[in-house]
Amino acid sequence: MCRRLAASGVFRRFSGDSRGMTASTVAGLLSSEPTAKPRQELLLPRVSYLTLVTDKVKKHFLKVIKADDVEEMWFEYEGTPLKWHYPIGVLFDLHATNTVLPWSITVHFKTFPDGDLLHCQSNSVIEAHFMSSIKEADALKHKSQVVNDMQKKDHKQLWMGLQNDKFDQFWAMNRKLMEYPTEEGGFRYIPFRIYQTMSDRPFIQKLFRPVSPEGNVHTLGNLLKEMYPSAIPNDGEPKRFQVVIHGIEPLLETPLQWLSEHLSHPDNFLHICVIPVPTD
Amino acid sequence: MLEETFHSCCQLLLQQSEQLKDGWSWEPVQSLPVASNDADSITVDIVDDDDEDDGVCMVSEDSSQVLKYEYHILYSCSYSTPVLYFRAFTLEGRSLSLEEVWSSIHPNFRLRLQDSPLHTISQQASELRIDMAQCGGSSGGSGCPPEVLHPAPP
Repeated sequence: MCRRLAASGVFRRFSGDSRGMTASTVAGLLSSEPTAKPRQELLLPRVSYLTLVTDKVKKHFLKVIKADDVEEMWFEYEGTPLKWHYPIGVLFDLHATNTVLPWSITVHFKTFPDGDLLHCQSNSVIEAHFMSSIKEADALKHKSQVVNDMQKKDHKQLWMGLQNDKFDQFWAMNRKLMEYPTEEGGFRYIPFRIYQTMSDRPFIQKLFRPVSPEGNVHTLGNLLKEMYPSAIPNDGEPKRFQVVIHGIEPLLETPLQWLSEHLSHPDNFLHICVIPVPTD
Repeated sequence: MLEETFHSCCQLLLQQSEQLKDGWSWEPVQSLPVASNDADSITVDIVDDDDEDDGVCMVSEDSSQVLKYEYHILYSCSYSTPVLYFRAFTLEGRSLSLEEVWSSIHPNFRLRLQDSPLHTISQQASELRIDMAQCGGSSGGSGCPPEVLHPAPP
């Protein structure tokens, strides 16, 4: 199942397997509760956020739901409220990666689960969250020097590029965040988050360098050995987990620096999902 | 700031807090070092925007409201500095939104904060809230994500 990647940019479509789940979008089927209401099928971009791409969904359901019954919209899959502040692709890989498409999500307009979800009453909340991830990633990569050197309009350009799905506009700025001094061999630390379904802990995020002090290039395998050793089977043991980025399993020998430059989300983080191998 | 420096500064804070009896405690959270202060009550007077700016707050009696603040200081590895997380509640347990928090800050100070390039106060993700619930620190208003005071640029 491991695939070599030909991709060279966050928004480009990857070569996919026959299930189509490695494409840059995920087919979602949104229905409101109770399920008698009309359903909507959408292509959801992996790299975006649920509340950013579901305006049409909201309008669609508002036609059939009484205004009195409408509060803040939120999404749920099989009883789990979906965190809008995680990229859509991460949510899919974590919760539904080995299920039949389309991904059936339930839309709610009442009883917002305050204990589980952040409120998201406008796009500026999403923008603030997105920009704070970018800033944190740059703090790790460049001690914030690159993002601090940018002007406010440059920050805005990153956000607008994501919001309006404008690849060139986004990358005109993002390429600066992907640079590093040649003599360093990579970023200072790699911005990553490892998500696990089998734990209360939301994600693992720690400091990790792309190159060892001796000059050895760190791989995805090295990262996992350090941060989540049980994800990798020992010799002779059966594989218990899939290590998934954007819906595919990169080879564990892939250099982490390369992954960071080419497989990060627009928020500049490498979001890595460790999910149990499906038992068919 | 190095993490060891953060530890020693927290110890100093805790010593001061012991003397002042103002409630700071040290709690390890999922291997993250945290110093927390629970339920520190202060009375905040809500100020009208069109008041005179002579450094004095003019307040009418029925606009005052008692707010409860809960503070947590964590060490951020990403920024290598301490980060202040806080939540504000009314006495009924309702959490204040980011807008309400901003409006409870004196206009002069608010301007200074807003000029900062790092946009100092933001609403942070629920992950920390989960960690805080695990250390048993939070009282009431369990759902609201904490506000974060971003570290100042070095």
